[in-house]
Amino acid sequence: MSTDLPDKTRKRRLSWRKIGSKVGFALLVLVVVAVTIAPVYFMVALSVMDPSEFFRPHPAYFPTKFTTQWWERVLASEALYPAFTKSLIVATVTTVIAVLISVPGAYAISRMAPNIKYFLILSLFFTRMYPEIGIALPIAVLFLRMGLYESVVGLVLAHLILVLPVCAWILVGAFETIPRDLEEAASVDGASRLGTLWRVVIPLAAPGIAVAAIFTWLLSWDEVTYARFLTLLHPTLPIQILGIIGRSGPTVVATWATIVTIPVVIITYLMQKWLRADYLAGAVKG
Amino acid sequence: MTTAELARPYSSSPFARAKAFLKRHWFETILISPLFIYVFGTTLIPVFASIVLGFQDPPRGGGFPSLESYRLVVQDYQFVSAFNNTLIITFLSVSLELLLGLMVALMMSRPFTGRGIFRAVMVLPLGIPVVVAASNMRYIFLFSGYLNEALIDLSLISQPIDWLKEPLALFTVAISDMWKVTPLVMLILLAGLESIPRELYEAAQVDGAGLWQRFRHITLPLLKPAITSAVVIRGIDAFRIFGLPMGLGVGRTVPVLSTFGYYEFQRVYYTTSAATSTILLVMILVAVVLYIRIAGTEEITG
Repeated sequence: MSTDLPDKTRKRRLSWRKIGSKVGFALLVLVVVAVTIAPVYFMVALSVMDPSEFFRPHPAYFPTKFTTQWWERVLASEALYPAFTKSLIVATVTTVIAVLISVPGAYAISRMAPNIKYFLILSLFFTRMYPEIGIALPIAVLFLRMGLYESVVGLVLAHLILVLPVCAWILVGAFETIPRDLEEAASVDGASRLGTLWRVVIPLAAPGIAVAAIFTWLLSWDEVTYARFLTLLHPTLPIQILGIIGRSGPTVVATWATIVTIPVVIITYLMQKWLRADYLAGAVKG
Repeated sequence: MTTAELARPYSSSPFARAKAFLKRHWFETILISPLFIYVFGTTLIPVFASIVLGFQDPPRGGGFPSLESYRLVVQDYQFVSAFNNTLIITFLSVSLELLLGLMVALMMSRPFTGRGIFRAVMVLPLGIPVVVAASNMRYIFLFSGYLNEALIDLSLISQPIDWLKEPLALFTVAISDMWKVTPLVMLILLAGLESIPRELYEAAQVDGAGLWQRFRHITLPLLKPAITSAVVIRGIDAFRIFGLPMGLGVGRTVPVLSTFGYYEFQRVYYTTSAATSTILLVMILVAVVLYIRIAGTEEITG
């Protein structure tokens, strides 16, 4: 590391300062980590905390008595399975369609001249400037008339509006890391442009496509605005939780929240090795 | 693939130029079309419909254009408070996220033991659904929540504070938003930091520049494009904040424009809901243009 070089040439009198700054840095890391983890920790802790430790004037920070009663109650709830299934289907179908539409589009954008590329990315990005409630409102009114209200199809159509620009944006960054020489070599060998895309570019971009797909899935799994406008009696999982927050005790809400989070944490953990900053930098680099 | 390079516009008429472009880029055009047709079809048309709806006046027999909805909205004290709350929350959360995101990105840009774990922990909130983030924040910010507990145990306060009541609730919403999206800001800024050449710092150090000077004269100016994208991306989302106030249970008591528009929709006041979203759209446009203007002129003068 460059900043360490001159320190070594200086005398020992700096060593105390160095130790001090190291300890300070370590403390700072610990504080940031603690603040980041705390809300998630309390969620999991509450979902297994015994009522005697929570329903008292001063709830315990660290539970010592555990219970599975909140989990049993939520897992037995009739509202859980339809909402869970609906969210799962919507997120998965949305992801598959989004990737199918975005991969060719993003590839083409990544191979454009810089000024056109910049213009196309920005114009996609500007669609995210519209307030979602302004899009959701006429769509909800239309879906009510067409009988798509509460339907999986309606939710997928709405979620695509939200996820496509993000998915395409990540994919442009991923395709940009693939050298064009490879494509030129393939075309010299007589491959068609579609063949080159399918057999050369897409396999190389697979990690980037995986990241885009995972992001898309998470966006749809999390989504609340469209889902709030487009469902009422048969909500998605996040909307179900929004309703439960006002009606149930913290421990039950924590259990619901943990259930939504589990798939997300598994997926985020699996994608750690692919989560590279340069995929997210597509628009930064222009 | 040289054909993918942009054709120089030799022809004069825009039509001929478009034709030449299509001829040259037919393959790209086919690939791009589904994406752009869907994205623009499903945003431009509904937004246009929404804007038109806002200027209709069904209660009085469908006069168009009419400013009745806007008159109703502006006179509604809930709307006025939603308008102010949206501005305050956006300003607070974007500044906090930028400061913290920059701090964490700088921490992460130098190697240290356990950096991998630190990174894994820091991106955790990115994956937490918004409603979960909101419900988690409730255990902390509720009247009998853990924040009040901790502050009393540390004897920093003697009476619990109601964090979910105005005006403190604005701060609570901003902090909750910050917890959820600082990782995104951090990743964008980290990508920017990693693109700054090491040699610049080394050269500056040889010239005797201190830590602060290096930060002020190398890091900040070169990080500017990344900061701009972070501010614009986050700013737009903060203006449209919806899930967090709903999940915190303050959607009605501490309204923002999105929640106000939703409740108008729920009461079947479609026109005032549409007028609200049009106002929000104008706010976002004005803010983005202003920000890019200010950031742009700084670039010229600084």
